[in-house]
Order: sequence, then C-alpha cells, then structure tokens
Amino acid sequence: MFELEQVLHRVQKPARYVGGEWNVVRKDWDKTDVKVAFAFPDVYEVGMSHLGLQILYHVVNSREDALLERTFAPWVDMEGEMRRRGLPLFTLESHRPVKDFDILAFTLQYEMTFTNILNMLDLAGIPLRSEQRGPGHPLVIAGGPCAFNPEPLADFIDLFVIGEGEEVIHELLDLYLELGGHRLDRQRFLHRAAAIAGVYVPSLYRVEYHADGTISAIEPVASGVPARVVKRVVRNLDRAPFPVKPLVPSLGVVHDRGMLEVQRGCTRGCRFCQAGVIYRPVREKSPATLLQQADEIIRHTGYDEISLVSLSTADYSRIQEMVRSLLDRLEGMGVSVSLPSLRVDAFSVALAREVQRVRRASLTFAPEAGTQRLRDVINKGVTEENLMEAVSAAFAAGWTAIKLYFMIGLPTEREEDLHGIAGLARQVLARGKEMGVPGNRLRVTVSTSSFVPKSHTPFQWEPQVEMEELRRRQRTLRGLLRGKGLVFHWHEVEASFLEAVLARGDRRLGRVLEEAWRLGCRFDGWSECFDFEKWQEAFRLAGINPARYAYRRYAYDDLLPWDHIDAGVRRKYLVLEHKRAMEGKATPDCRTGVCPGCGLCPTLEIEPELLERVKENASG
Amino acid sequence: MPRYRIEFRKEGMARFISHLDLVRTLERAMRRAGLPLAFSRGFNPHPRFSLGAPLPVGVKGEREYLDLELVTALPEDEIKGRLNEQLPGGLEVTRVWSIPGDAPALMATLEKATYRVDLRLVRAITPEDLRKIIDGLLALPEIIITRRSGDKKEKTLDIRPGIHALSGRVEGDRVTLEMCLAVGSRATVRPEEVVQVLAERFGLPVADEQPGVSRTGLYCGG
Repeated sequence: MFELEQVLHRVQKPARYVGGEWNVVRKDWDKTDVKVAFAFPDVYEVGMSHLGLQILYHVVNSREDALLERTFAPWVDMEGEMRRRGLPLFTLESHRPVKDFDILAFTLQYEMTFTNILNMLDLAGIPLRSEQRGPGHPLVIAGGPCAFNPEPLADFIDLFVIGEGEEVIHELLDLYLELGGHRLDRQRFLHRAAAIAGVYVPSLYRVEYHADGTISAIEPVASGVPARVVKRVVRNLDRAPFPVKPLVPSLGVVHDRGMLEVQRGCTRGCRFCQAGVIYRPVREKSPATLLQQADEIIRHTGYDEISLVSLSTADYSRIQEMVRSLLDRLEGMGVSVSLPSLRVDAFSVALAREVQRVRRASLTFAPEAGTQRLRDVINKGVTEENLMEAVSAAFAAGWTAIKLYFMIGLPTEREEDLHGIAGLARQVLARGKEMGVPGNRLRVTVSTSSFVPKSHTPFQWEPQVEMEELRRRQRTLRGLLRGKGLVFHWHEVEASFLEAVLARGDRRLGRVLEEAWRLGCRFDGWSECFDFEKWQEAFRLAGINPARYAYRRYAYDDLLPWDHIDAGVRRKYLVLEHKRAMEGKATPDCRTGVCPGCGLCPTLEIEPELLERVKENASG
Repeated sequence: MPRYRIEFRKEGMARFISHLDLVRTLERAMRRAGLPLAFSRGFNPHPRFSLGAPLPVGVKGEREYLDLELVTALPEDEIKGRLNEQLPGGLEVTRVWSIPGDAPALMATLEKATYRVDLRLVRAITPEDLRKIIDGLLALPEIIITRRSGDKKEKTLDIRPGIHALSGRVEGDRVTLEMCLAVGSRATVRPEEVVQVLAERFGLPVADEQPGVSRTGLYCGG
C-alpha cells in the first residue's frame, strides 16, 4: 500500500498502524464467511493492553467460518494524513478498509472515548447514525462496561452486548450466517438478535419523557423484545476459552507483559464500584488451569513477566499456593510474576515482595477515603491499622515510595475527610522516616480522582459534587499536602464532570456527542486533547444542560436511563446498600459465606465459583 | 561464555519498529527459541546481547548486526534456524558466526554505514546534471546543518567530514544514490540530511515524497 507507506514515515510511532505482530492471525478473506473488525477506540498502546481484545480475537478466530481483525483510533497526526489523502480507516492484519467488514465491533471501556467512536466511524466512511446505514454498511455493535448505560450511544450503535462477550459473540455470528450473511435483512436480524440473552437493540425501544424532561418510560416497541436486558455471564470460567497465544505488540504498550486472568468478579461490594457489580459473581480458575495457561503463554510469547489479572487478585482463595507454584515453575525460566493491584494489608505486601523480583519504585494502595467513617460509607473496609501495617511491610521490604489513591467528592464527604487524607499521607511519611528510609528517596504520592456516580451501584442516585466545589476541595488538599516527600496529583474537574454526564446520560446526549465530534473533540481522556469549551458549545448547540445529568439526585423510585439494563443485582439491594451507606454501616464480603442478598445468584441461576470459602473476613 | 555475531535483515513492515522495540522483539524471539541465554546480574536481569548502531525508523536494514552471549555453545546453523522460526515478519537472520569472548563491543567498533537512497524527482535530469550536483557537494570543505534529535534542542554541526563517499545514477526522474556515512557514538550523518543538502543547496529536484532508504552495510573503522 504505497499511500500507507508514505504516511507511515510522517507520523509518530508508525508501528501503531502496521500489524505483523507475533501471533497475529491472518485468514483467507475470500474463504471466510463472516468478517469482524474489532475497534478499540483509543491508540494502539492502550488497546493492546486490553485483555478483552485478546480474548475475543482468540474466540472469533478459533471459528473456521469467521475472522477478526483489529483497528485502533489513529492518533491526531495520522488522522490528519488520512483525511488529507482520503485513506479510510483500516485494519492492522490486512490493511483493509474497515467498511469492507461485515460487523464492526467497538469496545466501550471509558465514556471519554465516545467521540473517538464517532470519529472512527467517520474515518471508515460509515454513516454515524444507525438509521442512515443500510445494506453495504457493516453492522455496528458494541460491548464492554459502558454498555451498562448505553443510552448516549443509542443513535449510533445497532446492537449492544451487555456483559461478557465470549459466548454471545458466537450466537450473534451464528445468527448472522443463518439469516444470509452480508445479504441479510438488517431489521430482521436486529429483531431476532434482540431475543438473544444479553443483546440490547436500542432502536427497538422507545423512550418517553415527562414534561419536566425526566424519563417516564423505556419500552420495547415490538414483540419478542425483552422489557429488561439481562447481562451475560460466563459459567465455569475455568473451562472458558482463554488466549494462550496472545498477540505480542510490536510497540511498547501500557501493560507489556503476559496477562493471566485469575478470576473474574469481586466480592468486596465497595459501593462506588461499578466493576464489582457488573462482573458478579466471582468465579475463580483452578491453580492447575492457571499454571497450564501461564506455561503456554510464556512459550508462545517470550514475555519475561506474567501479570495475575483480576479486580482483586489478593482475594483469590488459594493465592499463596498458586503464587508459590507459579514462581517455582517460572523462576527457572527467568520469568517474573506481577500483581497489578494490591489489597491494603500486610499480607498483600508480603505477596508482592515474594512475587516482584523487579522492585518497581513505588507501591500503590487505594484507601479511597481519608477517614474510617467515610470508608465505611463507601464500604471500603480498610482500617488505618491495615494501611500502616501494609506500608510498614513495604518499607521494611525496601520500597521507598508509596502511592495512595483517593477519591474526592464521595457522598457525605466533609472537610474532616479531606484532612483525613492528608493525615494518612503524613502518617505514612512519618512511618517511613521512623523506619529509616533515606530522606531523599522517601516519597508519598496522593493521587485523587473525582467521584463519578455510576449506574448499577448503590450510589447511582447520588449527584456528582459541583465543579467549583471539587476545585475548592482540591485547593484545600493541595494546601494540606505541602512539604518534603509529599506529592499531590488531581484530575481536571471539567473532565470528571463530562464523565459523569456521559455515565448518567440518556439518548438525548446523542446530539451532543455528534456536535462535539463535529467541533473537533477527540481523545477526550487525554489531557492534551480534552477541550471543555468545545463540549460546552456542543451542549449549547444541542440545547442540553449537562448539569441536569451530572448534578441530579434521583429518588429511589425514579426511572433511571439505564433501568432497562439488568446487571442481575436487585434494585432493592442497591437501595438497601445506599441506606446503609448513609448510616455509615459496612456490609461484609460475600466470600465469607454471609450472603448480603444482592439477588444476583438466584436471578442468574448461578453461584460464586470459589475454590474455598474463606472462614472469616480477611482484613482489608 | 560463547559469543556469536548475528547478521540480520529488517525490512517490510518491520522497518517501522523502533530501536527500543526491536530490542524487545529480539529478546522475546530468543526466549521463544529456547536459546541458552546468558543473563546480566542485578535486580532486573536481561539477556546479554547488544546491537550495533540503531537503525532509524522507516529505513530498511540489509545487513544489521547483533552480538549474543550464550551459556552453552550451539552450532551456528541451529542458532540461525531456531531464531528464524521465532522472528516476526520482516526480520530474518542471514548469518551467524562465533566471535572471541574478548571481541570489542559492536557499538564501539562500528564507524561507517553505507546507504542506498531511491528518490523520485519532479522532472527528469541527465547523468551529467547529477554528476555536477554530487561533485558540488563533495567539493565543499564544510557543510553546516542544524539537527534536532528527539525533543532535545537543535544543534548545528558540520557533516562534511562524515560523508565518506557519495555517488549516484539517474534514469529519467528516478535517482539512486549510494553513500558511505559516519555512524556510531562519535559522529553520525543521516542519509536524509545528505539528500536535503543536495536538494536545497545544489538544486536536486526532489519530489515531495518519502524516499526509499536502505542501510546496506555497517563497517568498522579504516
């Protein structure tokens, strides 16, 4: 491709667009019945760190009748070249235009990638809106965490997959082929697809509004379309397909190591956490399977590090045994193991020490809130004692820098909670000094993000704290965290505000998205690209007041824009959890055997797949 | 410990892998190949191999070199075969041979590189025109240019001493230049810098198009 070749010399990191990676799968186009383009709406380095891409790549390409190729959001310089030269969005495997594929599948990882989705459609030469597409255009589908509130994208996506995609993708591909492949009747396909568990077809639902603009109804417009779409969950994760020949990126990526999924789901029930709800129930894989997969991944990739991936790896029932066997096996091969996230307790640190041969400079913990009161409100069961034990263990093991993640703007937050954050940071610093960490190396970094209320969590009814107030709280913290050894990071409040608007949005935001994209918004999650003024203009042009989305406090019986999507957890439970939060009462981890009654297991006829029940609530 | 020098090609889409990423790619291929790699000591052990002068992104490498240390000796053919099975498209080992354990590091010995540059012109010129242009450059006692490396500041330098040889042939509007330039830690001249001088100061009517550049060889001093 001469044009592509010319362009590659003019852009940063041309390897982003080239393909040819180890373990890449290239199939015979003409001999394959259905062709899927997987679109990750961010740059290559971010997308190639996404385990979901590797899983779906493997699952679809394992079928003889299907192929899956990848495309990523071209960086700003590449987009410029592509538009200048009329080069359409293409896939990395065959450099084929994305519009030649049968199905274009986006993954929705983060609300701030939505404008990239529109941009990629446009770059592909595909009409943005579903109603403008017809035979000759690919079917545009999407899945991932943001699909749990898919409404802002309702105008642009033909069909959403709610929940885990490994099994439902097969059902969709089978249906596609059954109805005639690329010659199929789109309406017929969408109608039949709507009957597949976990599939949400937005065009088959009507949304009605009260005079005051709140939602009065979200209803199917045809028969055979469920009132609520229930998420898909993979049963028996141990046997589920897992890529042991993952694509090895040709470029340094965010997570440059072999990823081994240890378990899915998390039982802690932190009230702000959407992932904890949408990936329930917890399902662990057996140590034997994990060892086998680790072995194969190493053999097929040549990575020198394996990362044990899950929402809370230290909670895996047989973590010590598994880590020991893994280390035994891998040490001889010169391969190290890493834990992406640590629980806040000494056990976790001991694990990290055992496991991390390469001591990265800093160790990260996420207390999330500065006082016990607020931590109980959000159900993050970490005590000050846990934290001090953990950092002492870290300092004793030779770490000199600690990073602490907090959120500001949590429901019921007061001034003393901010002081609590600073207090904890200073305590950690003092402990470091006490333990003899050299002054020039000792560092405590406080990294804060602003709370965004997410759908399907007990805090879904809560408003976000207003931007001005968040800014004030950041100023307060900045003042409290001055001094040697302390570093303070914060996020732009406008970006957090936009995230809240999109996370709590309804279909009326479709117009805003389109205007924002037209005005040039891209890569909104990148601070160098985020342009709040353009977004404000987009809201103005669409006649929408964003504050009504970010700052609205819902009543328990209001109809929420995402109520037709069912994460499996009973509303009653979320209400109860919210009330307990307001009373500052914690709820135990469901791994302990005490079921708090979220309703998921009976609803989905499933149970947590645990190797062992933990006897009592392990600290942290 | 047995030491080997490996000659390889870097072409096709692999041209766009940066030097740092090439190191990573080679390391992983060596691990997959199950070669008995020698590791460095310390907190972050890595396999002991080193590359010569970095190949700029986008440039084809016809004869690039790396030195590799193993803990046990293996037949050269086997090293070549096993590596080639594991290298992604565009990378290929062409030769492997043993070198003495005390042979100086590649980075230190390589001083010259030869390049071939294929250019398109906006109009045809004659061989005589080309000869005049090239002779013009070679006749200069010094050629001062400004160069920016990465995000560092610009610096001015004289590249004439680093241009050891330059010749070319033309057919209509297509020119092929062959050049021998300095490479390595002490001095480096980039082929596109030479092309820029020919175009801007001697009127070579180069089209606004990326030339095809290949590094055809790497040489020690002398």
